[in-house]
Amino acid sequence: MERSRFENWLRNIYETQDEEISCTECFDLVSHFVELEAAGENAAAKMPQLKQHLEQCRACHDEYETLRDLRRLEDEGGAPSLDDLQDLIR
Amino acid sequence: MLLMSKARTNEEWLDELRASGAVQEAAIVDLRNLLLRAVLFFFSRNLGDFGGLARDEILQKAEDGAQEALVAVMNHLSDFRGDSKFTTWAYKFAVNHALMAARRERWKDVSFDQLSYSDDDTLSEWMRWDKSAGLAPDQSAMQGEVGEIIREVIEHDLTDKQRTVLIMMVFHEVPMDEVVRRLNANRNAIYKMLHDARRKLKSGLQARGFEVGETIALFSAPG
Repeated sequence: MERSRFENWLRNIYETQDEEISCTECFDLVSHFVELEAAGENAAAKMPQLKQHLEQCRACHDEYETLRDLRRLEDEGGAPSLDDLQDLIR
Repeated sequence: MLLMSKARTNEEWLDELRASGAVQEAAIVDLRNLLLRAVLFFFSRNLGDFGGLARDEILQKAEDGAQEALVAVMNHLSDFRGDSKFTTWAYKFAVNHALMAARRERWKDVSFDQLSYSDDDTLSEWMRWDKSAGLAPDQSAMQGEVGEIIREVIEHDLTDKQRTVLIMMVFHEVPMDEVVRRLNANRNAIYKMLHDARRKLKSGLQARGFEVGETIALFSAPG
């Protein structure tokens, strides 16, 4: 166990709220969150409960990061093609 | 080979996916390709999960994931509120299927006993860096006290299920969806168990006077 991981876990414990949104609610809202970020808005301030869930839930956070990066690449015109991605799979 | 798909507005996506005949067919083909791309995008960043699989098997899993995501998107079209690009909304389903498939592959050969193993020494073992050199005696003692409070809460205040989920996810770093699968539950239920466990740990620490800043500082100090 690395100290930094324990420290992160302690932070998660202390940042626990009495009410937190569920993974289903997160799934429902996360595309809007990504959209706000893509528009340069302060998504975390507008959707604090979603932000809090993403900090507590690794699975939802991994999905969020993928969505965010896909969206960003598409906006920049640099999203990899299907062929490129198939080539990346060994 | 991906043919360049037609650029569509959100309204065009919805109209064409709900149309019939060739219009709907073309929209579905384009959507499926986009979903496959999202699945492969996730897979390409998580290839470590597929250690034992051949390339063809991984590509087949991507095809399966895209197909499942396509069905999910078509079944949930009426849920789309228009508060994001349609494709970003649709990618959620693909990425969700991709993540579940990848994590399942990674953990498929690990037994439940290994994933949920814990004994009296688990927490001490887990916090053994605690004993690292360079700590002032009072700091070391306070770290020990925090560890003891955490141990007591885990042993006495958590339900069996909360304890099992905590041990799997925090101590053994088992991903959410693998815990869901092994315990025959769903993400919401597992998240709730972890949430309740965190609440009890937070109360336990605060009841003994360990507030956030002080406790974090205690463990983030170089040692």
